Amino acid sequence: MEMIDRYIYAVTQKLPQSQREDIAEELRSLIGDMLDERVQGENITDDDVEEVLMELGNPRHLAQKYRGNKRYLIGPDFFDSYMLVLKIALISTFSVFTLGFIIQTIIDPVTILDHFIEYIVSLVTALPTAFGWTTFGFAIADYYGEIKAKDLEIGNEWKPSDLPLIPDKKRQIKYYEPIIGIAFYIIVMIMFGFSNEYFGVWIFHDEFSGVVPFLNEETYRTSLLFIIVIMGIGIIKECLKLAYGKWTYKLVVYTALVNLISFIAVFMLINGPAFWNPNFLLELTQAGLITEGSEAYGTVSMIWNQSTTWILVLLVIGLIWDVIDGLIKATKK
Amino acid sequence: MNDAKEYMDKLMQELRRGTITIGVLSQLAEPQYGYSLVTMLGEKGIHVEPGTLYPLLRRLEKQGLLNSKWDTNEARPRKYYLLSDTGKEVYELLINEWQQIVESMNNVINVQGGEKDGND
Repeated sequence: MEMIDRYIYAVTQKLPQSQREDIAEELRSLIGDMLDERVQGENITDDDVEEVLMELGNPRHLAQKYRGNKRYLIGPDFFDSYMLVLKIALISTFSVFTLGFIIQTIIDPVTILDHFIEYIVSLVTALPTAFGWTTFGFAIADYYGEIKAKDLEIGNEWKPSDLPLIPDKKRQIKYYEPIIGIAFYIIVMIMFGFSNEYFGVWIFHDEFSGVVPFLNEETYRTSLLFIIVIMGIGIIKECLKLAYGKWTYKLVVYTALVNLISFIAVFMLINGPAFWNPNFLLELTQAGLITEGSEAYGTVSMIWNQSTTWILVLLVIGLIWDVIDGLIKATKK
Repeated sequence: MNDAKEYMDKLMQELRRGTITIGVLSQLAEPQYGYSLVTMLGEKGIHVEPGTLYPLLRRLEKQGLLNSKWDTNEARPRKYYLLSDTGKEVYELLINEWQQIVESMNNVINVQGGEKDGND
């Protein structure tokens, strides 16, 4: 008889506390009935008990059947809603911190490195937190099963007109193009943000001995603000491309507008006298790279003085090509 | 051949899972305890193991299809199960569905058999 108690214990200890006693009673009654039928009035031997228990099978499997095989955190009923909420949680967490980072950088561009580190640290802690809490919430909901899956069918309604258009290969913007663009703008932003002193001509006298900067260090903070705004405009343009996913006339118009704005910003920035390092040629001479009056000096000074014009010309060509390229792709049938 | 038997066993398991529920509901217009159900169903050709039936009874009770009551008057206390009102309703609906399935399946199987005969 001890064997029966051990069997019942083995089954019920794996079950929720609240059901244990009832299931134990019921099992005991069942085993009694099975034994009775087996011996038909004779005495019950240990062998009989063992055989009946063998018939009932592995207590672990029996417990599993009582539990209903629920071996998951979030079941199929909730999974779709879970994935949806999870995506929203992760994307909004990411956006909030990114936006915070951009705003902080615009307000206080000099310490962009600190902001950036803080941003990365926040992301590393906040994203798993968002993931964890969302999962935890759904796991709890699933465990208690109070919320019926039907109440949660967000975004499961569907009608044929919701079907996305089959992307037109020729007009399609590959999703990685805008992403590469955004990454490029961010890298340029960060580069200007904390390493202006390296943006110039590097002087080597046997070893590295300094940089003659291209930009005017006194007005650098204002310039940096401009640069960040211009890069921000660029990022907006790439985001538009990402959102549209294909070239349309609307997108071309927006691109043209954004390009015009960024051209005006660049024009204002580098055409102002305070943007470039006013002592560039002097410093180069002092560094011993060129001597005043030499042929090299003439070449360098010509390039230096005309650089503004050439940069603007190249920029105009680039921006106009950007629009024309979009227009060609949008017109393609 | 062994493969065929293995697949058959798996499919039969899936097939039985639903039918056992109907079988259980069909016997519970009168209160029964688990082991008497095993015997009753067995006599009618539906073999179900106690290890399957007992958890199933609890699940159906939790879903509200069955009511249960302990009878402690006899020598051995037993838990009796009985169809609830919802259970009765569900059972009626299930019978209809089941009969339709049998009919449709018969159609499908017989049509196939007929075609085969014709081709031979």
